[in-house]
Amino acid sequence: MTETANDLVDALRQRDPDALTTVFNTHADKIYRLAVSILHDEVQADGVVQNTFLALIKHIDRFEGRADIGTWLYRVAYNECMGRIRKQRPQVDLDTLFDDELMPTSFVDWNTLPDAILGSSEAMNEMQTAIKKLSPSLQAVFMLRDVEDLSTAQTAHILDISESAVKVRLHRARLALREHLAHYFEEYTH
Amino acid sequence: MPPTLRCEDLVTYLSEYIDGNLDSELVDAAREHLATCQNCRVVLDSTQRTILLYREQAHQNVMTAARKDALFDKIAAAFEQSTKQDGDSM
Repeated sequence: MTETANDLVDALRQRDPDALTTVFNTHADKIYRLAVSILHDEVQADGVVQNTFLALIKHIDRFEGRADIGTWLYRVAYNECMGRIRKQRPQVDLDTLFDDELMPTSFVDWNTLPDAILGSSEAMNEMQTAIKKLSPSLQAVFMLRDVEDLSTAQTAHILDISESAVKVRLHRARLALREHLAHYFEEYTH
Repeated sequence: MPPTLRCEDLVTYLSEYIDGNLDSELVDAAREHLATCQNCRVVLDSTQRTILLYREQAHQNVMTAARKDALFDKIAAAFEQSTKQDGDSM
């Protein structure tokens, strides 16, 4: 951990309100994005953000010096998301839901479609539909690695899985999302 | 001479290729395959585009200022009321 990050933890321990503002402004939106991508519910995502920061406040005095606040917050938030899903759908196996290996079947080149189509609200809705079809663990890996740009090692630590499992899940998520979007955009290429 | 890749091999290595994690021999093999296979080029380009689209969309996905302020107020109140050494071990 950098000296600055250590200073931040110390300041939080001293109940410095500026330190809380810094941590909240740095991480709240990232945690919210992860939660909303897994839970697909803005109110629940707000609850995850709140509980994650309350957990930080509760545990800050015993925060390990080598821990990284951002990674720790993500880990708490992810576990909170999974806990909420288990309550809603206790019968679902969260790791295997829709995680079949996928070979591409659409080879239409939609990559050069104009931004007006790729960025349309309909396309954005379709992107949400596509990500909802992934299991929560694939959604989390995709969000942390490709959207938030965390390393494989950080993602593995947050999700408590091996680095090779992160790579496998990222690969499956990317192929599944690409395939869904390829079928959607295909009609615009004619 | 790099190994010859089939389309299935290219798809298997696709993510590692995108992330720059393949060794140089496999990178050469992938490039050789991509130079002659339109379908695999499309899969590569559209996978990279998919990642970019989600990245762009997600970064617009933030809490509204009003909700964020309300949430921060609750957290700040809990922070102020908290006392040192009242936490469990992390």
